[in-house]
Amino acid sequence: MRQAIITALCAGVLAIGGCGQAGSGGRAGGGNGGGGGGGQADKPHVAFITNGIASFWTLAESGTKAASVDFDADVDVLMPTGIVDQNRMIEDMLTSQVDGMAISPIDGENQNEKLNEAAAHTTLITHDSDAPDSNRVLYIGMDNYSAGRMCGELVKEALPGGGELMIFIGRLEQDNAKRRRQGVIDEILGRSHDPTRYDPPNARLEGNGYVILDTRTDDFTQAGSQAQAEDALAVHPDIDAMVGLFAYNTPAVLNALAGADKLGKVTVVGFDEDDATLEGIKAGHVFGTVVQNPYMYGYESVRVLAAIARGDKSVIPESGFLDIPARKITPDNVEEFHADLKEKLGG
Amino acid sequence: MKKILGILALLIAVCVITGLRKPEFFGAYNLGNLAERIAMFGIIGIGVAFPIITRGIDLSIGSVIGLTGSLMPLLLVKHGWGWPSVIVATMGVALLVGVIHGLLITKARLQPFIVTLCGLLIYRGVARWITDDRTMGFGSTYDDSLVRLVSTQIPIPGVGFAIPISFVYLAVIALLAAFFLHRTVWGRQIFAVGSNPDAARYAGIHVDWIITLTYIICAGLAGFAGILFALDVKAVQPASHGNFYELYAIAAAVLGGCSLRGGEGSILGVVIGAALMRVLYNSINLLGIPTQLEFAIIGAVILIGVFGDEVVRRIWASKRGIGKQE
Repeated sequence: MRQAIITALCAGVLAIGGCGQAGSGGRAGGGNGGGGGGGQADKPHVAFITNGIASFWTLAESGTKAASVDFDADVDVLMPTGIVDQNRMIEDMLTSQVDGMAISPIDGENQNEKLNEAAAHTTLITHDSDAPDSNRVLYIGMDNYSAGRMCGELVKEALPGGGELMIFIGRLEQDNAKRRRQGVIDEILGRSHDPTRYDPPNARLEGNGYVILDTRTDDFTQAGSQAQAEDALAVHPDIDAMVGLFAYNTPAVLNALAGADKLGKVTVVGFDEDDATLEGIKAGHVFGTVVQNPYMYGYESVRVLAAIARGDKSVIPESGFLDIPARKITPDNVEEFHADLKEKLGG
Repeated sequence: MKKILGILALLIAVCVITGLRKPEFFGAYNLGNLAERIAMFGIIGIGVAFPIITRGIDLSIGSVIGLTGSLMPLLLVKHGWGWPSVIVATMGVALLVGVIHGLLITKARLQPFIVTLCGLLIYRGVARWITDDRTMGFGSTYDDSLVRLVSTQIPIPGVGFAIPISFVYLAVIALLAAFFLHRTVWGRQIFAVGSNPDAARYAGIHVDWIITLTYIICAGLAGFAGILFALDVKAVQPASHGNFYELYAIAAAVLGGCSLRGGEGSILGVVIGAALMRVLYNSINLLGIPTQLEFAIIGAVILIGVFGDEVVRRIWASKRGIGKQE
């Protein structure tokens, strides 16, 4: 009796959960996929694993959805809360025998073994952040060092006479984060092009008339980032610029500036296309931002994986790198860009 | 025992439903993964069951895991210690944490909730500070004799399935804990203290010592699990490694029949509780349920399980009452 009740209730919940899959989020493309099972699948089942939960990834998710329709594939989008969670998702997707897996590894270097385990069983590609030493067949993304230098150019345009600034970034263990930050620093300090350089986060860096006071990390939380920005304003009330390098960092910096009544008085340069960042550009509170194209990361990941699952290896470029270049968004082009973005998210 | 039946039925139901919709669920690969996850979360669940049975709580488990997990690569790779001394040192830190909790709770008469909540904050902060907040990995340079403590698989001949070594640790710890709790004088005294601390004190039980012992066991097992987690994931993020794990441990213990009011609990139940949590996470991924719904589904299934259990218990109790009147 007891077992019957509990079993029935439990079945109900799982069934409801199962029904949800055709609706919001998770699985795009409808249908159950039926396990795929390697080889040339009629309708490939691929997994798209992010490195966290953020609006940036919501955009990528809509890209995967569009591609799942265009290339007739089932896509599972999974957003982990940390490395342990991400490894678990890799294992579960291997259990599901997906035909391909696209992942943005949180710590590519130390996750190599897990990534190679995945690569041994299915087609593995990386997106957004690379794991160059793993057996992935392809990296889809941009050159983060160059994009960082682009961001540094914006800082120099905004403060041609030099000044004091601070960098805010979610975490530094990711390959993309390290390179992006280094690009910003090298450009501002007028150094040569060297993506392998690495300045430790707590060092004060000076050169070219600029002082980079510190780099603050927040382990991927907007609340943490805002607190960091507020504390920075408390310690350095005369700071000239604040640079946010993860999607939510710029909105967090803006919130902190609004709280300190300093909106528009401190130069803000951002990264990525959070709504608040774009509105900030329109309002004149943000000088500019450098945008990646997460929509295309999602779209291209599914396109490539679906093609490989159908036996078409020609989609893999010889360099193993599919470049989705970054670009600068300033008051000149923000309206057009924002409108296009809204359309993609709505679609 | 009746409490275990309810949760066991729920576990079997989730397994069967998932297996019917995704046969890969019962594949050797997935069962191996599950066994490993259940092992680690089962160990911390068993740990927290001890203070819970004495009406206490330990909220610092996740941070102890974060601290021991950060100490491992720090001492091994950065300071070049040998692995036996690293394990002794990290376990020593964990046990010391337990002693401090126990003394603050029994001698300084502070509430377990406050003591261990402060512990949660302190150990996390220390972990981040000693590592400069950098992700610590074991790197590829370190020889893997230590990693084998976690990665070893024990093949079962004839079935194509291998049991991860961590599941063996869980089995040994569970057997020892169950024997200690249910078959030794100290174990019975733990239940006595949880049921009625005053009565236990008048009965001549060294209540303070018994309570301190439960916190030492809890922190010790958390430390041990911390070592396993670190070796398994091979990359420890000091700021987030082990976050919220105390809640998974407490949920497993309570699901498994430990009452937060003290005096009740069984080790087998805790292991089944931990298994249910891990299987649910696994099912959600395999069934392609949106990850956004993950927490909601797990919360709902547990709530329904506990609620159904309570309803049935009351129906039975009232039926028995009517029977007696007749």
